[in-house]
Amino acid sequence: MITLEQKKFQEIEKMTKGYNPLLVLGCETCAAMSFAGGQQQVAELASAIRIARKTSGQEGEVLEDAVARQCEPEFVDLIADKVGGCDAVLSIACGAGVQLFAERFQDKVILPGCNTTFLGVTEELGVWSERCAGCGNCILDKTAGLCPIARCSKQLLNGPCGGSMNGKCEISKEVDCVWQLIIDRLTRLNRLEMLEEIFPVKDWSPAGHGGPRKMVREDLKS
Amino acid sequence: MMTGNELSTEIKYPPCKLACPIQTDVREYVQLIAERRFEEAFATIRKQNPLPRVCGRICTHPCETACKRGQVEEPIAIAALKRFASDGLWRDQYEAALPGKSTGHKVAVVGSGPAGLAAAHDLALLGHGVTIFEALPVLGGMLRVGVPEYRLPNDVLDEEIHTIVDLGIEVKTGVRIGKEIKLTDLFEQGYKAVFMGIGAHRDRKLHIAGEDKLKGVVSAVSFLRGVNQAEKPRVGVRVAVIGGGNTAIDSARSALRLGAEGVHIVYRRSREEMPAAKEEIEEAAHEGVQMSYLTSPLEILGRDGKVSALKCIKNELGDPDDSGRRSPKPVPGSEFSFDVDMVIAAIGQAPDSSLVAEEIEVTERRKRIIVDGPYTLVTTQPGVFAGGDAVTGPATVVEAISAGKRAAISIDSYLRGESPATVESAGPTETERLSSVIIEKTTKFERCLKTSLPADNRVKGFDEVEAVLSEDVAVKEALRCLHCFLGARLDKEKCISCLTCVRVCPLGIPTTNKMGEITIDPFACQACGTCALECPVRAIDISLDSRAQMAQKIEKGMAESHQPDPVIVGFFDLHGNFGSSDMERLRQGHPNVLPVMVFGLRRVDTFDVLKAFECGADGVFLAGCAPDTDPFPEATDRVKRRMAHARTLLDALGIDGARLEVCDMPEQGIVDKELIDGLIQRIKEAGQARSE
Amino acid sequence: MKSGSNLERILESGRFSVTAEAGPPKGSSPKVIQRKGELLKLCCDALNVTDNQTAIVRMSSLSGCVLLKELGVEPVLQMVVRDRNRLSLQSDILGAAALGIRNVLCLSGDHQKFGNHPTAKGVYDIDSIQFIQMVKTMRDEHKFLNAEEISGDVPFFIGAAANPFADPFEFRVIRLAKKVSAGADFIQTQGIFDMAKFVEWMKMVRDRGLDEKTHILAGLIPIKSVGMARYMRSNVSGLSVPKEIVDRMADAKEPKEEGVKICLETIEQLKEVDGVHGVHIMAVAWEDIVPRIVEEAGLMPRPVV
Ligand SMILES: Cc1cc2nc3c(=O)[nH]c(=O)nc-3n(C[C@H](O)[C@H](O)[C@H](O)COP(=O)(O)OP(=O)(O)OC[C@H]3O[C@@H](n4cnc5c(N)ncnc54)[C@H](O)[C@@H]3O)c2cc1C
Ligand code: SF4
Ligand code: SF4
Ligand code: SF4
Ligand code: SF4
Repeated sequence: MITLEQKKFQEIEKMTKGYNPLLVLGCETCAAMSFAGGQQQVAELASAIRIARKTSGQEGEVLEDAVARQCEPEFVDLIADKVGGCDAVLSIACGAGVQLFAERFQDKVILPGCNTTFLGVTEELGVWSERCAGCGNCILDKTAGLCPIARCSKQLLNGPCGGSMNGKCEISKEVDCVWQLIIDRLTRLNRLEMLEEIFPVKDWSPAGHGGPRKMVREDLKS
Repeated sequence: MMTGNELSTEIKYPPCKLACPIQTDVREYVQLIAERRFEEAFATIRKQNPLPRVCGRICTHPCETACKRGQVEEPIAIAALKRFASDGLWRDQYEAALPGKSTGHKVAVVGSGPAGLAAAHDLALLGHGVTIFEALPVLGGMLRVGVPEYRLPNDVLDEEIHTIVDLGIEVKTGVRIGKEIKLTDLFEQGYKAVFMGIGAHRDRKLHIAGEDKLKGVVSAVSFLRGVNQAEKPRVGVRVAVIGGGNTAIDSARSALRLGAEGVHIVYRRSREEMPAAKEEIEEAAHEGVQMSYLTSPLEILGRDGKVSALKCIKNELGDPDDSGRRSPKPVPGSEFSFDVDMVIAAIGQAPDSSLVAEEIEVTERRKRIIVDGPYTLVTTQPGVFAGGDAVTGPATVVEAISAGKRAAISIDSYLRGESPATVESAGPTETERLSSVIIEKTTKFERCLKTSLPADNRVKGFDEVEAVLSEDVAVKEALRCLHCFLGARLDKEKCISCLTCVRVCPLGIPTTNKMGEITIDPFACQACGTCALECPVRAIDISLDSRAQMAQKIEKGMAESHQPDPVIVGFFDLHGNFGSSDMERLRQGHPNVLPVMVFGLRRVDTFDVLKAFECGADGVFLAGCAPDTDPFPEATDRVKRRMAHARTLLDALGIDGARLEVCDMPEQGIVDKELIDGLIQRIKEAGQARSE
Repeated sequence: MKSGSNLERILESGRFSVTAEAGPPKGSSPKVIQRKGELLKLCCDALNVTDNQTAIVRMSSLSGCVLLKELGVEPVLQMVVRDRNRLSLQSDILGAAALGIRNVLCLSGDHQKFGNHPTAKGVYDIDSIQFIQMVKTMRDEHKFLNAEEISGDVPFFIGAAANPFADPFEFRVIRLAKKVSAGADFIQTQGIFDMAKFVEWMKMVRDRGLDEKTHILAGLIPIKSVGMARYMRSNVSGLSVPKEIVDRMADAKEPKEEGVKICLETIEQLKEVDGVHGVHIMAVAWEDIVPRIVEEAGLMPRPVV
């Protein structure tokens, strides 16, 4: 999933100041699963904004809604009427959602309520961690299913660097050295010899370094 | 096949209600007791049951047998709670329902046992003119002349009956229908319908030698009838009671109280098969009654025309008979006798239906009145209905009440010319079983102990043995309720399969399949509320303190609040079980606090805290119960952590986060005075700082 | 000869070599490097110029190398992949070749998080092993990474770092082998305090025959104080400082002298380890001590080959 976190309330309050009515719009997929943009969080945030407005003597109605995914035009369009009646929309979705919104509603102020953090997994409830950098050219077959691009601080393809100690990355005792994990796993699989070969220089162009990415499936598109 | 979805939206009866013959809203009144809303608890009970104090004492409480809590350790003491709610609140607090607008119809109710009383009560409420005909000089049927006073004091029964009769019911005692007045006469006298609740008062005979000619052999019914009179019968020194039902036990315990030195119950099967209530058997043994199981009487031996000994034979259990119980088989050569000077025969009763047998049909052997179905209760004579022991043979008070109530409905339709309801419900089905995992994960709370007279004092007289529960004990007991079917309701349309509920439930109740379809077993759920608290899309709500109810509590409380400034909303976990005096102390000592009572702090979310501030509160605190009284301490811990988050949010809002407090209720008293004073102080300071 | 550098010549002649480190300043004055050059000129075969060491911005290592070269001191150009992508790395290599620099040490670099610009974007386009391989291809095949032709020579003696004390221990030799096969002509190791572990590592190195394929210079860090010993023991990832060393420093009346003593003892032991072809002394902020250590270790005068 894509993980997100709500921006600090102060930041949200500042950017939403003066918009009346303001629509707080949740996104019930990744944003909800990140506990940032589900109806529950939307209700909480809207209530907080209302209180903040009240205590600072500001006017302004705060509406709440949510759609299944803000990154799909059909869903976004379903609330066109509500959006039409608002000054601004605070989108509690990932950056993709915010932008699709901006595209669908050319004349509306759209504000991001979240920071999109990464592509990751739920380790346990309330704990997520990064797993994939979206590099566009997966190498997990060569690294025992563990990604050094997303998870090595230096993105080394021939790791580990000299800073790896006790299984931890040199940047922090809290961060696992993914190369240690790769080696451990290959040792278990009896495939450590895979690492004796030098991993060649990587093509970063599909990783976004080749410009904004786009994917077209000729067979699917209309 | 049922999917989880259908299950979770379907309204289901909790096991207690399902098991109760009159489908008492047990869960509701137990919950009201837990909330210390005793008057409402009583009203809930009384609405369905015209004899709550009787049932609170002697009901066989099938609800407790079915109670889900019973699968965990022991069932909720439902009957004791009923007695608690009813005893304290008699008459003055209960605004007896007024009889409905008169229909002009007259109905005769024959017999004033619980069946007759219930029928009369409900018919009167429906606006029919009711006359009770009772053969005996006193009202109450077996409750009066069967059940001894040490279990059901006369004054309690009197008051219950008065309240019923006060609905404008005419009473004619000393009139035996079939004798003085025939059934057909009643119709001639203008009665449009008759309910026959004549009970089962004819003792079955032992059919052994000596039964008829020896002095000192009595039937239980007549013995107990005597016991229930001011002039108590004389008993022998050594008494044998034959039989294994409640009648036998009551006869034995009464005999002890009347001075017998040794009392033996002779029962032909083993203790497991004994029909008397477990508690009664225990009490009897506790008081000194001796039990001879697997023993059948062969002959009553006599000397000088008086009983001198009882000859018995030992039995062993054979194959189950048609009643499903294993039938006793005599062991050859095991005969023995023991000295007694009194024998009480308590092997069952049959209705005394001979007087009416010409007019309505009764069964061949047991003489029970024949009716066409359990909901219509129509006899073979048009306009005559019957129910209670007279139809079923000796049964229980609540079954008799149930019959009376059903009869009232059936008679009402009959009088209005409608065909009686013939729909038959599936009847009580077996309670679902909880998995061993859930049982293991459920926090155990001991069932309340009953307070009884010491055995030595008991046998000296007919004082009531069991005392009513104290307020605190009753509330504590009510808090054990697992709130069956008031738990998580899942809206599958909203669910996004985030698995949070699966992860947070302290009992592991929500499950998922590999497509992310969530199932929440509504029977197993205990309404702790954690899943609803954490579900990011609000796909779950809890019926107990639902989101809407929470909002309403806060909004209504704030709208009606008379609290002086600064107003502090205090969420109290009911599991803290503070007394009404604590409440009074709170009102006086902390007039600023507006209490909002919740079943578990888990029902309080950041949102609710914000709501309180939004409604104008100046401060909020959450008072949790002591950890050892919390059924879900770990889940409650989540709420405490959530409040840390709420505090940062409040800070960001410019409302000092310090205006939100969380504390546990100390064992004594309600909340720390210091905590509230401190909170008030901080709020005032913050207010000053702002105005400066 | 691959590069014809002094370091290469000494090592190829089988002599025990000495290198040291000269960190450039956080400023633009040439004096600092020049002073260090003068100081270490006679006691070392080559001087490493660090590249934004510990991710703290300093004068570029290439400029430092040029300043040293002007003094007649042979530099080792340290380059990290943290700050430069493949384009920049290759162009700097060409420039260094043009300026007469002959030794390069290819490194990953400490993570930017440790430095004075912790919010910087790390480049890490290629890693250190790929970097070594790239320089070797430039030198031996006259080819850029994209296989395009390079005009002119790129004569470099290619160095790499190795840390025998980092984890996982067993894999360290494999990684060294990768570096060697990528083209590392010499190796400068992390500072050695844990001699037992180093000896074990060297045995594994010899078992793979790596000591025949590359020159291993054992790293030395002279300790100035007990505080420094403690700091290195607990805070520097990839360093293994045994407790005895800390205790010795703590108990010493004159810690600096004790530090020198430890260093000299280590050199003595290193001389006995098969496959060790020299030492690399990293006397950060204590360069003054290097001549004395080299002298007392009996490694003076430096040979001329
Ligand atoms: C000793 C004893 C202990 C019991 N203990 C319990 C217990 O603990 N819990 C429990 O649930 N149940 C208990 N029961 C059973 C319970 O009392 C009966 O099931 C219940 O009272 C039956 O109610 P009823 O209205 O059908 O009949 P009854 O209560 O028997 O009432 C019938 C009434 O009809 C009157 N009557 C009979 N014939 C005529 C006539 N021809 N004309 C006018 N009036 C007539 C009778 O005098 C009597 O008053 C006990 C019974 C006995 C005997
Ligand atoms: S310690 Fe491991 S994860 Fe961290 S930078 Fe080095 S190789 Fe990568
Ligand atoms: S736990 Fe409560 S609701 Fe459930 S069966 Fe028992 S009394 Fe009824
Ligand atoms: S927590 Fe809510 S959204 Fe998540 S799986 Fe459960 S019901 Fe569905
Ligand atoms: S978390 Fe609580 S309310 Fe939800 S399913 Fe489990 S027991 Fe029921």
